[in-house]
Order: sequence, then structure tokens, then C-alpha cells
Amino acid sequence: MASKKSMKSAFESMMFVWGEPLDVKAAADVFDITKQEAYDLFKELQEEYEQEGRGIVIREINKTFQFVTREENADYIERLCTPVKARRLSQSALEVLAIVAYKQPVTKGEIEAIRGIKCDRVMEGLMKKDLVCEKGRSEAVGRPILYGTTDTFLKNFGFSSLKELPPIDDVEGVMAVDADLVEAEDEDPVAAGQIKFEF
Amino acid sequence: MSYKVRLQTFEGPFDLLVYLIENAQMSIYDIKISEITSQYLAYIQTMQETDVYVASEFMVLASALIEIKSKMILPRMVDAGDGGVVEEDPRTELVQRLLEYKRFKQAAEILAEQEERCSHIYEKPQEDISAYLEEPDEYLRLDLAQFAAAFNLFIQKKQKVDSVRKHYTRIERERARMEERISYIAGVLKKSIGQFFSFKEFIHNKKDRYDVVVTFVSLLEMAKNRIVHVEQSSTYGDIQVSAGQNVDGTVSLDIPSAGLPDGYEEELMGKKKQEVPGGK
Repeated sequence: MASKKSMKSAFESMMFVWGEPLDVKAAADVFDITKQEAYDLFKELQEEYEQEGRGIVIREINKTFQFVTREENADYIERLCTPVKARRLSQSALEVLAIVAYKQPVTKGEIEAIRGIKCDRVMEGLMKKDLVCEKGRSEAVGRPILYGTTDTFLKNFGFSSLKELPPIDDVEGVMAVDADLVEAEDEDPVAAGQIKFEF
Repeated sequence: MSYKVRLQTFEGPFDLLVYLIENAQMSIYDIKISEITSQYLAYIQTMQETDVYVASEFMVLASALIEIKSKMILPRMVDAGDGGVVEEDPRTELVQRLLEYKRFKQAAEILAEQEERCSHIYEKPQEDISAYLEEPDEYLRLDLAQFAAAFNLFIQKKQKVDSVRKHYTRIERERARMEERISYIAGVLKKSIGQFFSFKEFIHNKKDRYDVVVTFVSLLEMAKNRIVHVEQSSTYGDIQVSAGQNVDGTVSLDIPSAGLPDGYEEELMGKKKQEVPGGK
């Protein structure tokens, strides 16, 4: 078996040639090692790049690895050439995408229930951008299509896996603010009175 | 329904409602339904006045708000079943939905930030690595544009070749012809009348199927004109050739001038000689 060092070096070369995210499985097959072993080597390599603060970063996307530029260097790259900026997603597209990302697999009906508005068009746009895709069908009545996010989504939003999505279940931030408001209102007898009067 | 164009500020009824609640600095857990409902209706009114088509979804929420408002003035004590009473707030469901919506609105903001960050990261698209690949299958994975480009290239090449061809004629090397083969066989036989030859002896290049066929057809033609006498003892067996009665005669051969008759060639080249007609 090749030494760790030479395998890492080989993976580095392979990523360079491949350009696209390189599947850990494909890399593992080359050396006939397990996926986990290859994954660990990629992680080590990623760490090395990180420690040295290289201009190239190894990005992980759902068990694949890819060379990308360092975020901080964007300005310099843009000075060198003017890359076409992809248009940002609209607010509604982001909302729908967020629901799909956090609740997947999810049906259109569920998305519409949360937003209180139809989402066919937005979904169509997201599918076209390859950010969401069909993930099968629900067992519910009418067997509606279930949607989930794609690897492109992970890539474009900088997540290495779905587990990396920041938790949103704690709406504590929102609640805390609201709680303060409630207290503030309670202290104000007029405001408190108003509430009483209204109902 | 493209509500989005008409309501630039709000993405949907919940978006509007959340905005109104936050704008009024109200707690989401203690919505002043009356106030919010009138604000909400006023907003829809403005939209209608400014000749904006109001999406039905906004109306649905408006009616839901009015329903909640009317329920608020009714006694809210509900029999819990076990003798006790529970106070039921008609706003509960709305609050739950608003909270759910806010959660995802917040998630959308996170995603927007992430998207912004990632727009500063550049990746290299995969270059053409087909030069490193042995499998021609790779070409089949081209997308439509690449495929069209490849096809155009092919057409251009073909046009170039065609234009060259226009000025030049291709000349094929002349292959063995029947007349030559007949005169050759006749010559050999004339010299040794009464002697038997094997069919194979007359074939110059035994590996060339064309040569075999020419020899065979020549022999058939000669047998027809009684220049040779052919015998085959068994199927697939060797053919014995000897001089026929007309071997000295000058029989005019009725054969086409250019090798095998039309179609003969392909027909015979395609199949293996299966059966050799018996000697005449």
C-alpha cells in the first residue's frame, strides 16, 4: 500500500486534473482503500491547505472534494478578470429554498401551507437552476411529488453536507425580542389596557 | 399567478402580516387582531385603489383574520371534557403559522448570506480531459452545444475533402480479371493435355477471396464452353480440372469486359462458397 503522504499527494493531483468535485469513492478506488480512509486523507489535505493559508481551498461537498479559490481573494480575482456574477435568488425563491432545505423531503402543498401562497413558479425556477430536485413521491393522497435539495445547492451555498445547515428550530432570538416587547407593554398600563379593551 | 410583479414589497400574505406586526411592534404571541386586521385590510384596499390586482391568497388571509377577530369577542371558554375549562385563543393557529413562516424567513436570510459569501469563491470548471481518457464513451457525454460543435467540425472537414476530391480522381489498382484468368488457365492446360490439376493450383493468392472467386467463375465459364473438364468427387471436395475438348479452339467468350459481372462480386464475396456444382 502506498504511503499516506504519496496518496495525499496523488489526491491533490487528481483534484487538480478533475476540476469538478472529485468523489471520495473514485479516489478510494484508485488506491483500493476504504471510503473512510480516503475521506480522512482528504480532510488532512484540506487541513494542511487551511493551516498554510493557501490561496486555494479544498471544499467539501457531500463526500466530494474540489479546489476553489479563497474567499478573501475574490477582490483580486475580480481585478484580474471580470467574472459574470450569477444573479442572486429573489426573496421568494430563497424562502421556498429554505423550506425545501430544512424540511426535505417536502411537497409543494407543505411549502404553500407555510408561505400561504402558491410556489409553482418559484419551484420551477429552482429546479431549472438545479438547486432542488424531485426525491420521489409521498404516500399521502394523490401521491404528491417530494422535493429535496441537490449537490449544486450545497455547493452554491457553501455547505459540505445538509448536516451543516445552521439550526433554525430555535426561534429563540425572535422570541426573546418578543418577550421583551411583551414586558415593555405590560409595564405600560395604557398599552396593557388597550389589549384588554380590544378583545 | 404572478403576484410577485404586482406586490413588489411582499412575497405573500404572511410576509405582509409579519411586516405589519413587526411594524406595530407587537408581540407575535399577543397580536392585537383588531388593529392588525384593519391595517391589513387597509393595505389591500390601497392595493386595489392603485389598480393592483390582489392575489386571492391575500384575501384568504384577510378572511382568516376577520374570522379570528370575530371569534375574539365571543366567550373563549371551552369545555375540556374532564369538567375543567380551558381558555382557547383563536389566535393560536395563526401564531403557529406565523412562527413557522418566520423561522423560514430567517432561514432564507441565512441562505442569502451564504450565497453572498459563496459568490466570492471561484471554482474552475472542468476542462476538456478527454485527451486523458481512453474510453470513447466520453464523447457521448457531451452536451448539446459541444455535440453541435463536433458535428460542425465534421461537416467542415467533409467539405474540405469534397473540394479536394473534385479536382482529383481516385484510381483503384486493377485486380485480376476473368479474361486473364481464363487465358492463363487455358495456357497451362494446353501445355499438358490429359493431366489433372487441382482447382487450388490456379488460385494465385489463396487468402484473397476475390481471387478465389475469379478463378472459380472463370472455370465455370470455361466449363460451359467446354474448354475444361471439371470433376468433383464429393461435396466441398477438391475440384479436378483437365483440358476439355475445345481447349485448342478459339471460342469467343461471352463475358463482360470488366471483371466479374455486376453484382456478382458482392454476392459471391459475401458468402462462402458452399456448394460447387459437379463437373460437367
